[in-house]
This record gives sequence, C-alpha cells and structure tokens, in this order.
Amino acid sequence: MDGHERPAHRVPANSEVLRVGKLTIAEGIFDRSALGKTVEPVTVAVERGAIRAFARVLGCQDAVHYDVSAARDAGHADLVAPPSFFMAIETQADEQRRRANLPSVFDLIRTDFRYLLHGEERYFYGAPIYAGEDVVISSSVIGFYDKIERAMEFATIQSSVCQPARGLLVRSERVLLHRLPAREPCA
Amino acid sequence: MTEGDLSSTAVGDVLPELVFGPITRQTLALYAGASGDHNPIHIDIDYARTAGLSDVFAHGMLSFGVLSRSVTEWFGVSRLRAFGARFVAITHVHDTVTCTATVARRFTADGEERALLSVVAKTQDGRETLRGDAVICLA
Repeated sequence: MDGHERPAHRVPANSEVLRVGKLTIAEGIFDRSALGKTVEPVTVAVERGAIRAFARVLGCQDAVHYDVSAARDAGHADLVAPPSFFMAIETQADEQRRRANLPSVFDLIRTDFRYLLHGEERYFYGAPIYAGEDVVISSSVIGFYDKIERAMEFATIQSSVCQPARGLLVRSERVLLHRLPAREPCA
Repeated sequence: MTEGDLSSTAVGDVLPELVFGPITRQTLALYAGASGDHNPIHIDIDYARTAGLSDVFAHGMLSFGVLSRSVTEWFGVSRLRAFGARFVAITHVHDTVTCTATVARRFTADGEERALLSVVAKTQDGRETLRGDAVICLA
C-alpha cells in the first residue's frame, strides 16, 4: 500500500473540533468529498508464487493452493487463491496505480495509516480465482459515517474482481475506520 | 458429521477448532510481504509509537484469513459462497487465535442447498477478536 510516507494529519488552526467528555478530537481525517468516487480499474496478473506465499502464511492445508496437479485433479484450472486473497490483488493493483500516478482508494479517502483499522469485511464469491489469470479490480467509495461517542469515523468501500471471460469472481464490502486521535484544543 | 459428507451437515454441528499462533513478529512480516499490505503499523515498532501505541499489532486480515480457514478446511474452498466478519478487537503480537465455526441454519438459494455458519475468533484469554458468518454450498 502506498501513501505511508505522507505527512501526518494536522488539524488546521481554524478546524472545527468535537468534544466528547474531556476528550477533544479532530473533526475527522477521511476526505468526505470522495463519496461516490471510483478508482481507475486495474488489471492484475494472478501469480502462482503469490498464491503459495499467501496460503503458507495463513497456514492453509489444502493442496489446491500449492500443487498445480492437485488443483487440476480437483477440477480447477490452476492453483486456487484462498478466500481472503482479494487483499493481495488489491495491493498489487495499488502498486500499479502508484506507478501510473493514479490514486488508490486509500488515497481517495485520505487514509492515515497510523489510525486505520478494519471495521467489517464481507466477501461474496462467484467463482474461484485461479493462478495464471488476468483479473480486473475496481473499487468505489459508497459511504461515510461517524461514531462520535467512540471517537471513530468510518468509510465504506465496495469492490469487485472480475475475469473477462468468466465474469464476477469476488465482490466485497469493507468498512475501514480511523480511531480519531485526541487533540489539543484549538485556541 | 464427517468431512466431505455434506448431506449430514446439521444445525448445531461444530467444526473442528482451528488454532493459529502464537503470532510472532515474523508472522506479521511474512503476512505483510505475502498480502502486499506494507502498513508499517504492523511491522515497525517505531512507526507504531508515532501513533501512540506501545507495540505493533497483527493485521486484521491475517486473522480474517485464518478464520475463513475454519470453514474452508472442512468444506473445501470452492464451496464458499460468502464470508464476512466484524473486527471486534485488535490481535496483539504473541496472541494465539482459536477459531470455531458452528452450523446456524440450512437453506436453499440460487437452486443450491446451503448452510450458514457462525464463526468466531478468540485469543488465548478468551477475548473475542472477530465474529462473522460463512455461507457454504452443500451440493
């Protein structure tokens, strides 16, 4: 993921602040003007080595993630990506976007990685993701909301991974959040 | 309930527990590399301190991926139709995560027999870190 080197979020002198009990927090970090925006779809090559490395860290036992002949014996075209491999496709797409000077969804919503957490992730699977295929990933910003009493702000992202010949492989809905840091009150 | 015997899958069935960990700094470094999620908050303690934290913490999607295994190791990855979870608490370095999956109901959708499973990940001290559900095709 790019953008980690971005300067730290600063509260401008005239920024509105929220007070929750004794806590004073910034009004938010996400760029709400990103609502409804879509990042440039990117074509990503799914590689065998990437699937193997990802499956190994998670401790996957099934040979369909490692052994091409085992995958084919089980009726698959090639190595099968684990269900959460979406993440690796997205980061690869973001790396390609970075090289092409295109914003990632994290750039669009102005993520501060120091305070970023996952709130909820849901994936819907249409068909397996196979090694050796080119897949197209696209993402849109579909919502923002706040839980002021918990000093959190949320962004909802919808994405899809499609393979041109086989159609939709994975659709995702993800909620990302910032834990808003305490701030000195503005004078 | 036996592995591969889908017709006997019944509400209340509990799949074999899956234990992952202890999660080391090496695990986090390897997950950063394999997932491409290079956010330094998970691998660089100096960076974590700039966020006011005393240490790095595990990628949420590492536990999420492990939790999905609690279902797919039993049914096979190609039977998974949906998987989702809420991130309830942060997983720390040295935590051991235990995942359980329970069959909540059976239903028919898109012409398929399916099962909905509740899935939970907890750390060694019983702290819940993820809670979600999975939809499996029983055909």
